[in-house]
Amino acid sequence: MRGALGPGALAALLAAGALGPAPAMAHSTGPSLPDEFIQGAFAPAFVPPPPGSYELPAIKRVGAFTLRDTAGRAVDTRSVMAGKIAVVSFIYTACPDRLGCPLASQTLRDLQARLRETGLARQATLVSISFDPERDHPAQLAKYAQVYDADPALWRFLTAPSGRVLDAVLESYGQDRTPERDERGRPTGRIRHVLKVFLLDREGFVRNVYSAGFLVPELVLNDIRTVLGEP
Amino acid sequence: MRMRRTVKWLWGVALAMAIGIAAAPPALADETCQSPFLPKVTGQEDYIYVSTLGVKGVADGNDSMVTVDVNPASGRYGQIVHRAPVPGQHEAHHAGFTDDRRFLWAGGLDTSQIFIFDVASNPAQPKLVKTIKTFVKDTGGLVGPHTFYALPGRMLISALSNAKDGGGRTGLAEYTNDGKFIRTIWMPAEAVYGYDVRVNVNLNRMLTSSFAGRKNYMRPIGELLKDAEAMKQFGSSVIVWDFHARKPLQVLSIPGAPLELRWALLPNHPYAFTSTALTGQLVLIHQQPDGKWTHKNIAEIGPNIPVDISIAPDDSKIYVNSYGDGTLRVYDVTDPFEGKLIHQVKLGDQANMVSTSWDGRRVYATTSLLSQWDKPGDQWLKAFAWEDGKLVPKFTTDFNGVGRAHIMNFGSKSR
Repeated sequence: MRGALGPGALAALLAAGALGPAPAMAHSTGPSLPDEFIQGAFAPAFVPPPPGSYELPAIKRVGAFTLRDTAGRAVDTRSVMAGKIAVVSFIYTACPDRLGCPLASQTLRDLQARLRETGLARQATLVSISFDPERDHPAQLAKYAQVYDADPALWRFLTAPSGRVLDAVLESYGQDRTPERDERGRPTGRIRHVLKVFLLDREGFVRNVYSAGFLVPELVLNDIRTVLGEP
Repeated sequence: MRMRRTVKWLWGVALAMAIGIAAAPPALADETCQSPFLPKVTGQEDYIYVSTLGVKGVADGNDSMVTVDVNPASGRYGQIVHRAPVPGQHEAHHAGFTDDRRFLWAGGLDTSQIFIFDVASNPAQPKLVKTIKTFVKDTGGLVGPHTFYALPGRMLISALSNAKDGGGRTGLAEYTNDGKFIRTIWMPAEAVYGYDVRVNVNLNRMLTSSFAGRKNYMRPIGELLKDAEAMKQFGSSVIVWDFHARKPLQVLSIPGAPLELRWALLPNHPYAFTSTALTGQLVLIHQQPDGKWTHKNIAEIGPNIPVDISIAPDDSKIYVNSYGDGTLRVYDVTDPFEGKLIHQVKLGDQANMVSTSWDGRRVYATTSLLSQWDKPGDQWLKAFAWEDGKLVPKFTTDFNGVGRAHIMNFGSKSR
């Protein structure tokens, strides 16, 4: 559990994030820029185009995998998502980068609320899959789900039974994952990855991929409506 | 309201850092002009990957991806440490990373082939792992894949021409990171040319610029300049798009082949820059209070055929390389409506690409423009650093033995 966050710590981290300034670049080895240069890329100020006014061509079809849920039960990903639009995010609960995995989970929490408000909750599902099968055992994921007020009927947290299965899942989605090592080659417990959230249609085709720069709940919601509205 | 506040926090605090920290290995270094969908952090770059045009009689004559060691702490600082050839000559030109920086895509403007290099397994030695030979067929007739721009899980590619008449009518293509075709978006009928493509995620706006078709860019420049009809076949527009919808919103009339596009990087800077190759203008493209877009010529670069431009990380400067007189010019654009020439460096007989590091301290330049347009002379990559308000030469890498140096992408050992 070294380096992992319990739900209390996570909640505190989230709270701190809500109030505190941006953290310094923890790892920069060269001359560093003030934070605003790094932040510069992202501060969205647009109204997403209306649902149905654009196309979301299929990017690829992802496979079906047998993972474990927060109760340790074997779950087929396709049965979880069958007939629904799925928003799938890859996270690990020990992720110390509050603007990495916590950002994705925060966005899914917001989406959970918006799906309920807009009456779309029956037609969509949210799925968070752990990058870290060793540490993210079902009980750990259950705690994490609780921190984010996840409604088990709408938002599932899954973990892979083995590294091999995880690799197959990541390959299928096109999600990178590199366990970080320190200068002496020892694992630090951190997992480097590009934050990606995937929108899947009812047939399991990826229809959009969001990274941090474009992970806007209203935009995702409009994309869900766009896919639902297709003839 | 709670959600709105949360969202504001998430965005306001440091979304970019989410990619920066969560995604990027330490010491990864970048240049300022990359896709906002790429992990981006500051730091000393270890390598520069140079897309290099093959020349008959030089090495094996093939196009290649050449690695230059650019870390001052390295024993091989400034030297070519690897060359990854592709089979044949294709008019090697631009290249760009996928969103996870694991792969570098490079295009051939002549044959429309695309070469995908693995740069993650051994960052010093990019390895050709896939070749897309079906770009023209996949896209329904696009020719000349130019800019390779990372979108999440995809590559957005701007083309220069078409298979039907080799003219300037063209479009954009999207491929998955695995190299599978997704879709083609043709340029609108009123502005058919293409060149660069760049996205501003904060505004959900995309810009495309305009150059010329294959029958112009593959023609010897001496001949082309004498052909008055052909010289009319150059682009004269920048298109503003709704990025998410991939729909054109506005066509700006900017004559003289506006080439590279650079969005300002700070969130309160809703503007971009371009330069016009044939009319020698540095141009500001900006959003008006009513939301419409317009443009203004902000500096006269002169009849030097400005080609590549690069933006400082704080939006204070634009670097312009000119092919005609081989000069790097630096403009102060602190006031984006007035470009002021503050510094210039004579690089050589000709120059083309220019790249700035994310910490704003280092500037790199290369020579080659197009196989049929290059002047005879030395081929190189030159490095400079800002010291006491001047760009001081750091090293020159001789490319005469490997080919002609074109676009640069920064790499790091730690990936």
